[in-house]
Amino acid sequence: MPTLLELQNAMQASLLHRDNGAVSTMLAGHITADLLDIYRNTFVHTLTKALRLSFPVTERLVGEEFFEGAAQFFIADHPPREAWLDRFGGEFPDFLRTFPQAELIAYLGDVAELEWAVSGALYAADIAPLDVTALGAVKSEDQGRIWFVAHPSVSLLRLAYPVDAIWRAILARDDGALGKVDIESGPVNLLVERRDTGIEVERLDEQSWLFLSKLCAGQPIEAALDMAGDFDCSVALAEHLALGRFCRFDLAPGTFGSTDLRMMT
Amino acid sequence: MRTPNISEASLIPAKAGIGLRFQHHQVVLDTLPDVAWMEVHTENYMGGGTPLRYLDAIRRDTPISLHGVGLSLGSAEGIDPAHLERIRKVAERIEPGLMSEHIAWNVVSGTYLADLLPLPMTEEALEVVCRHVDQTQTYLGRRILVENPSTYIAFGNSIIPEWEFMTAVAARTGCGILCDVNNICVSAHNHGWDALAYIAALPIEAVGEIHLAGHSIKALADGSTLRIDDHGSHVSNEVWSLYQEAIARFGAVPTLIEWDNDVPPLDVLLQEADHAAGFIASAKGARHANAA
Repeated sequence: MPTLLELQNAMQASLLHRDNGAVSTMLAGHITADLLDIYRNTFVHTLTKALRLSFPVTERLVGEEFFEGAAQFFIADHPPREAWLDRFGGEFPDFLRTFPQAELIAYLGDVAELEWAVSGALYAADIAPLDVTALGAVKSEDQGRIWFVAHPSVSLLRLAYPVDAIWRAILARDDGALGKVDIESGPVNLLVERRDTGIEVERLDEQSWLFLSKLCAGQPIEAALDMAGDFDCSVALAEHLALGRFCRFDLAPGTFGSTDLRMMT
Repeated sequence: MRTPNISEASLIPAKAGIGLRFQHHQVVLDTLPDVAWMEVHTENYMGGGTPLRYLDAIRRDTPISLHGVGLSLGSAEGIDPAHLERIRKVAERIEPGLMSEHIAWNVVSGTYLADLLPLPMTEEALEVVCRHVDQTQTYLGRRILVENPSTYIAFGNSIIPEWEFMTAVAARTGCGILCDVNNICVSAHNHGWDALAYIAALPIEAVGEIHLAGHSIKALADGSTLRIDDHGSHVSNEVWSLYQEAIARFGAVPTLIEWDNDVPPLDVLLQEADHAAGFIASAKGARHANAA
């Protein structure tokens, strides 16, 4: 008699890989293995539905039938690791980039990556944005050492194709706008976030994107400034704070830290 | 005006309720339908943003039950503590009147198999389920209900009748039973059981909720039929008849209309709930599930 774990692994082989070898021997005598199709169909249907909810524009670009086919391959290769399906599909953009049948649409993976960021923003945890007045308590000489924790709804993307324009046109069902997109117009730097009014996808210039990327990666303000040249960071920082793009801050160790240590020894 | 305290307001009454799905969030807020309670899938509210905001607003007027589909009480390798914590967080925010899970499994080797998969009815599976129900009730600090499954296959090593398995889980852990009458109808047909005998075998005091839903009938190559629990249509007459038998035995208990595929307009769900309410009104005494 199989243990429960052996039985569950056998069911997994059947559902994921259509391998009924082990599970067939565990079924009651009158049960045929083709009945497992019912479970496999629900499994694939549920996960395809989850992908469809997260990647609606990707689906419209390739059509329903192609999307379902791609989803089947993807599900077999990347089944969910947890029972929280809002977080299922993070590998789908990269999967599409290497999916041979999708190579005619070079920007498909970029569209999917934008949609994954949008989906992440939609379902990001409700965390209060940073209370700006708390920053006032930081001494001016210490302000360069401030580093932030980005709000979980914020994503920064650098994509090879202008997929924000494609995404907007398809969501609006605006064929005119879609026709005007110059797919070879070069890479775009995007900010995706959830605001009180909904999801925003904003195109940023190179410096603004770099500055915010550094801050969101937890670099102290002074380090982020080093990267930004003559860019007006105070205006940008004020906007980031006003729009709640950070949820916490702390102070990085001071540049005098090593000196202090030498004095102590 | 008297302000009800939270526990009183959130208690699930022994009346008919409906499963709340995303497509009805807005119309429920706009029209405040006259329905005694609603149930949601816990997993759909684990993130932040719009879904939780809707549920926060709806629960101000309507008691909510949390029904999980992903805890995998029957997993041989144990339940995912991160998932249990996510459930606890939703419960902390929503303060549900009832919480329930399934006698099923869907996680093995770190993979979530996204369906409610059948367990072999063995002593080992029973011990595994009881251990995880204990763990869940301890972690959440409250009693849960466990739902009987709908199944299409059976395993050669099953030796415990499903109704005895359900009864044993309730007896050993103190959990309640969510009696899904549609699932009993589906499984009884698929396995040649007597649905009425199944209902008659469940412990009356343990049954804290009933589910009703539609199922479909699939013709098999050998000429036989299989019932598929797809929650995509009206409750069948056969299930309504079984439901009357169920409440004749269990008394009036909270009863839910579930509809997950081809979800109809809200009015259709409310009519189904009204239909259930008619039967509840004629049942003997009402009982609250002990949610604490």
